[in-house]
Amino acid sequence: MLENIPILSLLLLFPLIGAVVTFFLGKNPKMAKISALVFSAIPLVLSLLMLTEYVQTAGGYQFEESFTWIDALGIQYSLGVDGISVPMVFLSTLLVFLAVIFSWDTEHRTHQYMALLLVLELGVLGVFMSLDYFLFYIFWEVVLIPMYFLISIWGGPRRSYAAIKFFIYTHIASLVMLLGIFALYFEAYSYNGYYSFSMVAINAVSPLFGATFQIVVFGALFFGFAVKMPMFPFHTWLPDAHVEAPTAGSVLLAALLLKMGAYGIIRIAFPALPDGAHEWQWIMVIMAILSIVYGALMCLAQKDLKKMVAYSSISHMGLVLLGFATFTEIGIAAGVFQMFAHGLITAVLFMMCGVMQHKTGTRNIPRLGGLAAKMPYAATFMMIGFMASLGLPGMVGFVAEFSIFTSTYDAFGWLLLIPVISVAITAAYYIWAMQRVLFGPLTKEVDTEHLHDLYWFEALPLAVISGFIVLFGMFPALMMDYIRPAVGAVVGILGGI
Amino acid sequence: MDYSALYPEIILALFAIAIPAVGMVMKDNKYLATVALAGVGLSMVAVAMHFISGNGAVVFDTGLLVLDDFSALFMMIFLSVAFVVILASIKFIDGEKHGSEYYSLILLATVGMLLVASATDLFVLYIGIEVTSISSYALVAFRKKDIKGTEAATKYFIFGGVSSAFTLFGISLVYGITGTTSFAEIGTKIATLTEFQEVIWVALVMVIVGFGFKVAMVPFHSWAPDVYEGAPTTITAMLAAGSKKMGLVAMFKFFLIAMLAIKADWEIVVAVLAIITMTVGNLAALNQTSIKRMLAYSSIAQAGYILIAVAVGTEFALTGGIFHIMTHAFMKGGAFIVVATLATVAVGEKITEYKGLAKRSNFMAFSMTVLLFSLAGIPPLAGFASKMLLFSAPISGAVAGSEWLIWLSVAGIINSAISLYYYARVVKYMYVDELEEGAPSDKLKLPKSMMAAVAICVVAIVVMGVYPDIFIQFCRDAAQAFFA
Repeated sequence: MLENIPILSLLLLFPLIGAVVTFFLGKNPKMAKISALVFSAIPLVLSLLMLTEYVQTAGGYQFEESFTWIDALGIQYSLGVDGISVPMVFLSTLLVFLAVIFSWDTEHRTHQYMALLLVLELGVLGVFMSLDYFLFYIFWEVVLIPMYFLISIWGGPRRSYAAIKFFIYTHIASLVMLLGIFALYFEAYSYNGYYSFSMVAINAVSPLFGATFQIVVFGALFFGFAVKMPMFPFHTWLPDAHVEAPTAGSVLLAALLLKMGAYGIIRIAFPALPDGAHEWQWIMVIMAILSIVYGALMCLAQKDLKKMVAYSSISHMGLVLLGFATFTEIGIAAGVFQMFAHGLITAVLFMMCGVMQHKTGTRNIPRLGGLAAKMPYAATFMMIGFMASLGLPGMVGFVAEFSIFTSTYDAFGWLLLIPVISVAITAAYYIWAMQRVLFGPLTKEVDTEHLHDLYWFEALPLAVISGFIVLFGMFPALMMDYIRPAVGAVVGILGGI
Repeated sequence: MDYSALYPEIILALFAIAIPAVGMVMKDNKYLATVALAGVGLSMVAVAMHFISGNGAVVFDTGLLVLDDFSALFMMIFLSVAFVVILASIKFIDGEKHGSEYYSLILLATVGMLLVASATDLFVLYIGIEVTSISSYALVAFRKKDIKGTEAATKYFIFGGVSSAFTLFGISLVYGITGTTSFAEIGTKIATLTEFQEVIWVALVMVIVGFGFKVAMVPFHSWAPDVYEGAPTTITAMLAAGSKKMGLVAMFKFFLIAMLAIKADWEIVVAVLAIITMTVGNLAALNQTSIKRMLAYSSIAQAGYILIAVAVGTEFALTGGIFHIMTHAFMKGGAFIVVATLATVAVGEKITEYKGLAKRSNFMAFSMTVLLFSLAGIPPLAGFASKMLLFSAPISGAVAGSEWLIWLSVAGIINSAISLYYYARVVKYMYVDELEEGAPSDKLKLPKSMMAAVAICVVAIVVMGVYPDIFIQFCRDAAQAFFA
């Protein structure tokens, strides 16, 4: 019975229907929220179903669906998931569902807000499930529109600037990537003899392409993905977008959109152009290390809590790229696991930024202080988030970071020392921020008399994610068992160990 | 003689002549519009017969005109534009004088476009261009009392006249050298030409200048923003979506059939002009305050994109060019009709007047968003599909060996990204910004016929974007017929 359900198409269909329904419930904000909740809950259930039905040992793509869409150009509506996409799909459905709950008190244009969250879910899921370059690109671009509106309608004071910067910056990157995809498409034609955008058909021949071609096209693809991740020096859109975005927007931006970049590298750039990847290895390593260290140093200097978290994202995504650039199975698998871990952790962190802004009216770290006494629950979750992010053993971030560093040592030896410094810096900025915000004398700069601790709709998502942070920290194999076999296939193409 | 290749033109011309007569009896513009719509509809049926019958190419009079997949597709595009424009005009010129001339001239202009679409002979092509141009001069000046309109018409007329002179001079040189006016024969003669190489160069320059004016190619574009701004907005829609595309069709025929043999001589020139055109158009559009001028500059930029098809010159590229002409006709025509519709309910042409529009009319704001995002090339809208096809053409050329072509794609995507800024700005005004202080905030009561015209364009854009397969097939058939 279950085998016959087109589970992946349903995963796309429900957010789409949900977005339309929610949008037209404009007159009744309460109904709009309930509709968004229901239509984000269904994909979550479907993705849990997918987790249980997925056969970890089978390898390859599963739940595949394929229909001819644009025959004239060899474009197919083709979906499938493997061990790399499964964690991402689960993460996306979980976080959108929780983001809807977390935004329960949105009053301004509620129906549009909720509808956009669902469109975002559609786009992100599409990216993680597409097996056709054209389809992949469409979903990749679809993601931009809801995020643009989320930032520019519900954002902070400089939202206009941040939204358009985000939109144009990442759009340019996507277009460069598109050029790379075209090059693959036409070059594959001369090998296959037929036009096809199918990832399977192109990737079957693309490792044979000439060296120069691979280097150039890998560069184009990598640029598109590196901007999205974002890697130093292409990160400048991120702090602006994060600082101005509404909380749910920031959560999804950091937890899901950045993952699209990393996912693109592992799904497209590496398997399609292994020789190119080898040529670019050192540039990737250098960019990764620069991002790790630069992001961490920038965090130290931030006064705005949210900006600090934004820069920490750059640092942690740098770890993902470092893991990938080792070309080892452990390194890449740890990188994918770090994507998953960072998604969970950063969601907590950005939610806490939103909570702080909401309760105290400011995110300025020096103006806060001693809040643990007034808001014990909020303080607890904030500490969980910080500890997880700085890599406390027993939490999900530790496993990923540790494995990435191990494989870095295996691959590059003592070069490891540079990124490892960032661990100390990370601990420093988090603990320092924690001291200033949560402990010490109670601040007099904000009205602490009427501070209210977490509402249910804030506490519930935080509790659920914190639970997962500990669960996957204790039992990383729960996710690693999905990831490892799929990564093994990529490493096989790369010719690594 | 078999006139069947000419049926679409004949039907339309008869209706164009009949409308003033009808106007003597029925004074109401509404009835005239209905007659005009009927004419366009019948002509469409005549074109559709070509696709249905599957007769293949029908040649008229030993090669003056041909009705094949290429010309039929363009006829369909031009007739659709005329249909939408007339539909939108019902309310737009409601109660104004000279309605019969207005509709008659629209039909005549369309006849010219159809002639250009089917011409296989330089002089037929030239006559087609002139029929359209002269009708449009009068249409731009339709509101005689409107100072901006008459100024625009004067400018248009002078520029148009000069450009026609250039074109004609170029054509006469080509005729003098090759002794024929048929594209195909010119093509074969040029290939074996040993003398008069320099004269061919002069002819090429003349024709580039002449057609360059028609399609508003930089540096011959300066008339376009003024004319587009000053003309009645429905006519602007026709100029941007119809007559400009006619110029591009003319360029396709001249360069890709008649001058194909010496492509190596002119491809760089056209490529550079394409890049300059798109860049100048987009940069100038960035800080426009009038929405009509902004769309006019965007139109210039889009012509630059389409010129990529000429510079690459393969069947694949032409498919992309044709598809982009098709989608652009609907997106740009639709956008201008949105402007026209809003003008009837006192929402002016300043971009700032669009602030908070979503609160006053959700339909209009949504339609404009779809059209503008499609122009920017955001998937899954038609503009993305066609742009993708168009920009991928140089890459296919580059993979096949002409590496320099890649710069056309690079320029195209950089320009696309720039253009996103000014399109997104309008969307932001409509959806994000609140109404301006003191501005009226009541819901807009929009004329139904104009909403229908807008809806046709929006539906076309969404359908062509989500399911482009069949349209790409049509364009490919057209490109094949073109090179056959």
